Amino acid sequence: MLKKELFNVVAKDFNSGYWELCDDSQKEIWSKKFYESLGYMKEEVRPTIDYFLEYLIHEDDTSVFRDNFLNYKNNSIDFRQHIKILAKEGKYKLYRCATNDELPVDIKSEVNFIFFSEVKLEPEQATTKDNFYYKETAQMTSTGSWYVDFEEKKSYWDFETRRILEYPDDYIPSLRDSTNYYTEDSRQQAASLFFNCAMAGTPFNTEIKMVTAKKRVFWVKAIGKPVYNKNKEIIGVRGVFQDIDEIKRKELRLRKSIDIIASQNSRLFNFAHIVSHNLRSHTSNLSLLVQLIEDIDNIEEKIAFIKDVKQISCSLNTTIEHLNEIVAIHTNKSQKKKPVKFQDAYNLVVNGIGQMIVMSNAQINVDFKNLNTINYIPAYLESILLNLITNAIKYKHPDRDPILEIKTYCLDDNEYLRISDNGRGIDMKLFKDKIFGMYKTFHYNEDAVGIGLFLTKNQVESLDGKITVESEVNVGTTFIIEF
Amino acid sequence: MGHRIGLACIIDDDSMYVNLVKKIVEVKNLCRNLMVFQNGMDAFNYFEAILTNLDKKAIPEIIFLDLNMPIMDGWEFLENFTKIKNKLGKTITLYIVSSSINPVDIERAKTINTVKDYLIKPVTIEDLEAIFLKQTL
Repeated sequence: MLKKELFNVVAKDFNSGYWELCDDSQKEIWSKKFYESLGYMKEEVRPTIDYFLEYLIHEDDTSVFRDNFLNYKNNSIDFRQHIKILAKEGKYKLYRCATNDELPVDIKSEVNFIFFSEVKLEPEQATTKDNFYYKETAQMTSTGSWYVDFEEKKSYWDFETRRILEYPDDYIPSLRDSTNYYTEDSRQQAASLFFNCAMAGTPFNTEIKMVTAKKRVFWVKAIGKPVYNKNKEIIGVRGVFQDIDEIKRKELRLRKSIDIIASQNSRLFNFAHIVSHNLRSHTSNLSLLVQLIEDIDNIEEKIAFIKDVKQISCSLNTTIEHLNEIVAIHTNKSQKKKPVKFQDAYNLVVNGIGQMIVMSNAQINVDFKNLNTINYIPAYLESILLNLITNAIKYKHPDRDPILEIKTYCLDDNEYLRISDNGRGIDMKLFKDKIFGMYKTFHYNEDAVGIGLFLTKNQVESLDGKITVESEVNVGTTFIIEF
Repeated sequence: MGHRIGLACIIDDDSMYVNLVKKIVEVKNLCRNLMVFQNGMDAFNYFEAILTNLDKKAIPEIIFLDLNMPIMDGWEFLENFTKIKNKLGKTITLYIVSSSINPVDIERAKTINTVKDYLIKPVTIEDLEAIFLKQTL
């Protein structure tokens, strides 16, 4: 019984009433304090939940309390809530009720208790109990109220508006400062909504970016409506700000993911067509060849077609290798980015194609001093450099030796790589949309395959970058990659 | 039965496919002469040149046009060819022969009057025979 005694002491100190729940569902033990607090004598009321729900609790609170009570009693789910109970004097009193968990001291009891402590309203708040609910609602939903009074030429904020905007309690808002409350890009929106409301009486309900006193930008739901006097003149605008930063950011993230998914989906769709088309051209040939073999009677001629079978199988392999390369780009995306020096990647590439550079008498000028390192997948950077450099040399101008300018730089917080050549150029009018397509070639070169730029574009885009091209026939071509 | 077709034309960059069709034409004796262009540009240049000395024998009665080709693809060729075909003074039947099964391509082909039909690769020997036969009727 020691626990029970200890509990008694605590409960007395706690200065509150309580119920002790019994297994017999028809009866609870109500503490002396509980009766006293409400002003009842023991004989005047029946200490059962049914009686309590029927006669004492305010009807607004009945159903929630009943659920809480039964959940606690049957499933030991703790709860706390505010309820209004009818006192002897005929008025409702506000109580905060809570289960064992809410005790100020850690007492584990085998018996279930519910504690009731009266909520004493501050004198000025006591005028209306709604004020209490308003405060609770404001805090719990992070919703602050404001009022702009045109007659008094004053603005008012409640405590919660000050809190979410991080201004001190004694801060006095004013229309003149109101531009400071909004981010630069949303001031226009805020101003036009407000003046539309003030002049034409158009209410607003919008999501807007605001700035706190501490310069923190956050998303707010701003609702406002005009206030009229008896003569139907607008004398002010009243409204609320609700802090919806978390929700809004989630929404924006979600929207971004949807965009990414949509673009991946369209890439997949595109890829499916590429796969279908490229594989079909070989299988069609194979099927045509088989028909032909079957159709011909001469055995020697039949045998002669075997070399064609061999060639088709060879092309099929090449195509599948190309497709694999593309798939690899999108599965390798998770590969770790790490700092890569442009010079290192460049050296690797140039070593690999040294022969080609020497044979073509190419001159390559590099300038990595404005941006010498980038966080990237090293293999991609090498592949990008390799493709663009070999392209520039392969498609050099017939009348002159190739000169390449390779430069990295930063502009507006973005990182760029630019590779220009003095080659034969690409006719942009004809090929603008096709430069980065698969198996698109623009010159009569025997070794043009039409895979390099397609891969480069896929690599750049898989890491959220962009690649653009400018070119003029007989002058040269410039590729710009934004990382 | 009318006459055998004198000249047919293939515009296709897939040399394997071209060789096979050549072989079929030869084995089945479908036409007397077959001309081949590896892309739309070469073919268009040829037709443009014909305009200057209208040699009707050099104009094919039938064209098999691929879509995906380097330098000038099938669509661009069609666009250019449609502008000059009436000046050639001879009816040319044009088939698109492509391995694209993209519905967008097939629908687009339907909207172009110059195109008689859209054949999806692989074509069969029977298809080819039927097309050449229809042409001679």
